[in-house]
Amino acid sequence: MMSFLNSYIYYTGAFGLILIGLYIILVKHNLIKVIVGLGILDTGVNLFLVSVGYITKGTAPIFSRSEINSEHMVDPVPQALVLTAIVIGVAVLALALSLSIRLYKHYGTLNLRKIREQRW
Amino acid sequence: MVNPVLLIIVPLGLAFAIPLFALFWKGAAKYIPPAALGFNLIVSLILLPRVLAEPIIVSLGGWQPPFCINLVAGPVGILFSAIIALVGLLVSIYALDYIREGAVERYHTLYLLLLTGATGVVLTGDIFNLFVFFEILCISSYALVAYLGERSGIESAVKYLIQGSVGSSFLLIGIGLLYGQFGTLNIADIAEKITSASPISLFVPMVLFITGLGVEAAIFPLNAWLPDAHSSAPSSISAILSGIAIEVGLYAVTRVIFTIFGASGILSFLAVLGILTLLVGEICAFSQNNIKRMLAYSSIGQIGLILFALAIGTSYGVAGGLFQLLSHTLSKALLFLAAGYMIYRAGSMEISAMEGMGKKMPITCLAFTIGAFSLVGLPPFTGFPSKFLIVRAALATQEAFFCVLIGLVLLGTVIEVAYFFRVIQVLYFKGEKMNSVKKEAPIAALIPIFFFVALIITVGIYPRLVTDVLNSAASEFLNRLDYIRSVLG
Repeated sequence: MMSFLNSYIYYTGAFGLILIGLYIILVKHNLIKVIVGLGILDTGVNLFLVSVGYITKGTAPIFSRSEINSEHMVDPVPQALVLTAIVIGVAVLALALSLSIRLYKHYGTLNLRKIREQRW
Repeated sequence: MVNPVLLIIVPLGLAFAIPLFALFWKGAAKYIPPAALGFNLIVSLILLPRVLAEPIIVSLGGWQPPFCINLVAGPVGILFSAIIALVGLLVSIYALDYIREGAVERYHTLYLLLLTGATGVVLTGDIFNLFVFFEILCISSYALVAYLGERSGIESAVKYLIQGSVGSSFLLIGIGLLYGQFGTLNIADIAEKITSASPISLFVPMVLFITGLGVEAAIFPLNAWLPDAHSSAPSSISAILSGIAIEVGLYAVTRVIFTIFGASGILSFLAVLGILTLLVGEICAFSQNNIKRMLAYSSIGQIGLILFALAIGTSYGVAGGLFQLLSHTLSKALLFLAAGYMIYRAGSMEISAMEGMGKKMPITCLAFTIGAFSLVGLPPFTGFPSKFLIVRAALATQEAFFCVLIGLVLLGTVIEVAYFFRVIQVLYFKGEKMNSVKKEAPIAALIPIFFFVALIITVGIYPRLVTDVLNSAASEFLNRLDYIRSVLG
């Protein structure tokens, strides 16, 4: 168990965050908490992407500096992906929060169980 | 030589230039989307005959695939970008007069961004770029659903946003898993390497991809957001969401299943999902009293039908599915545009409020009727050849499984006939005979409505106009080796 945790600690953490985020989104009634859940889910996904390209004791892949051994370089592609994913996540969270302000003005509550005018 | 990259950068650049133009002249904002989309339509039509012969691969940044970000303008990509530009152009002409209140410049910026995202999704040859363009599409559609800012719009935008961003997170996890296994993001490169991987390790990414993209494609049971979002958005946006956004989601699902995973084992599962989506959509549409919710549920049903046709997996089936997709786009956009002014005139979205509308707005109601007939599949409209192709493809497989499912499709069509004819009956044959004033929709709305009607009838009478393109698009989906060879050389 401990050796599994030691070798897969980042993946464990990433999927732990993803599951916590999903749990909050599915269970909580308050819209702000759901948005916090979305943020945690995003963070978990980003951590997962970074750990895909990470190696233990890795360093930045700068080929012009000869003192960096190429064996220790981490994969830069996932980091570029995460940078993009973070920006997208910020945009979604900002939009969600501004929508929740408008929602509160209309309904006077953020409880999603009470905001149910639209039905099948 | 026209470069396919123009299809993305011109609308993207113009979208962000709209606020600048609006600084100098307030009225400029609404004329930019028609200009940009008209440009896209012309470029797509110029490229179309060329890509039928050979797909155009654009490598960005001076690297060769698989190391660069590339665009693959094959028959599928250019067919879809032409459809997006055509429908987008007609709907943006409609919006010239329809969108009057609110922050008009922002509406037009977001509208153009949504269509840029859709064009990017269908042209890109890289799964991470697919995700990014998908997010552009999704985020602008969340904002546009909330555009009017009233109660129902905000509520459905919040629901749509939460479900959509959970779906996008799943998609991103799937991309991470594929990158971890194969060390590449290029669709063709992954497709080449995937044959050597064990099926077990591919199952989880595939499920994540189908779930993540299935939210936007409104595949049952991931479609709870759709009826709310499509019915509370402004009608021009409903037309785009129903006509473009969910089709682009379905394109992404098809590209992932056929090209990346080359999965034939999952097709029968998708066929069953398609039929479930179809029946749920049609049955719910039958019980609606709100005309836009009825159209939204009908979109779910049509998506189910298209998914079923694509999942038949033969060249007839895929071509039929793409044809049905084209005819759904044209008919549903027409229905929403016509319904927009009918609602405006009636002052309510209830179907019962439309009584006698056939005498008050004869042209608009005639257009609505033509759209409904086409969606149901009556000749001589475009829904007829497309549904006919699907039935023929299902029977040509000679498998009991598909023959039973096509029976359910016909059952769904009967329900569809029932609820559309109920609306048509209300339009023409209900309500007391009163000397009501004839007042049509404004000319800016009638022009796109007329073009949609003309297209529906032309393609319905001469299906050969599009069958060549659809057949080569179907073969691009089915021959993944050709796709890999054309990208990687």
